[in-house]
Amino acid sequence: MAHEEATSIIKRQGQRPTESFSRNKLHQSIVAATLSARAPEGQADTIAYAVTNYVLEWLESRPEVTSHDIRVVATRHLRAHHPDAAYLYEQHRITL
Amino acid sequence: MDIASSLAIVTLAALIHASFQLSVSVLTLLSGHAIGAKHSQARVMRLTFGYVSGVGVMTLLALSFISLIFLHLFGHDAPDIIWAIACGLLVGVGLAVWFFYYRREKGTSIWIPRSFARHLSDRSKATKSGTEAFSLGLTTVVSELLFIGAPMVISALVLIQLPAHWQLVGIAIYSVISLLTLFSIWVLIGSGHKLSAIQKWREDNKGFLQFAAGGALAVLGFFVYVCKIMTDVSGTLL
Repeated sequence: MAHEEATSIIKRQGQRPTESFSRNKLHQSIVAATLSARAPEGQADTIAYAVTNYVLEWLESRPEVTSHDIRVVATRHLRAHHPDAAYLYEQHRITL
Repeated sequence: MDIASSLAIVTLAALIHASFQLSVSVLTLLSGHAIGAKHSQARVMRLTFGYVSGVGVMTLLALSFISLIFLHLFGHDAPDIIWAIACGLLVGVGLAVWFFYYRREKGTSIWIPRSFARHLSDRSKATKSGTEAFSLGLTTVVSELLFIGAPMVISALVLIQLPAHWQLVGIAIYSVISLLTLFSIWVLIGSGHKLSAIQKWREDNKGFLQFAAGGALAVLGFFVYVCKIMTDVSGTLL
């Protein structure tokens, strides 16, 4: 997808090198969070697919976003599908 | 100080140690990554058990090491000035825990150097074997020394006064009790409880845990001061 290649992700407030957006990476992270919430594999995959599509839509008009922005948007949509998984996804960076 | 009072102080110090949350946070992250990576429940349990064992062994080694240093420096009875410094340290760390233990933001982030936190977070994700989990447990105890140092120091001062076999009993009591929280979380994860529920409980009750740990440190410092220094001073005067 064109916007997938064009969007740059600023990581950890610029402390890490900027990366191109990777749909697969986002999908995997949502699958992992959903599985951590003890959801079945099939459901985790379906939810991750839906949430990734939402995020891709949101990214269409944005050439550059932070990894935090993506986490916030993904969490918002994930909450509608699986609140426990959304909670774990949101907490990942603020547990330690 | 008699044996019962000494072991009571060691037990309270170990309970305070158990109330600190860094090792629990790492265990939560480690199990989350292991479950998310589609590992079997048996493998999740092996990894998390490796981690809990690492924390236990490092706690045991750290307390033994501090006790050994004190034994070499002071013999079987440390001078009162050292006891006074240790009591001051307990009260000081207690106040610091009240004001600074958790960062003022959502979640359960605590005031340890961010480079330590990032390292532990990255390692919990990269850990694939029981041995790696064990070494992660060792590292976690080192990262937490800033807070657990004070209860360990007072326990070591108490332990060096005891006869050799009671020293071993004291070290065992400290190690087992300091692992209680971690062991409980390990059992909860093993019995299929949701990580989100565990993390939610920790987030909702972090204020209480912070108050309890800080308050208990100050109480322990005051108790040891009265029990040891005041008794010694009044004994000298009489």
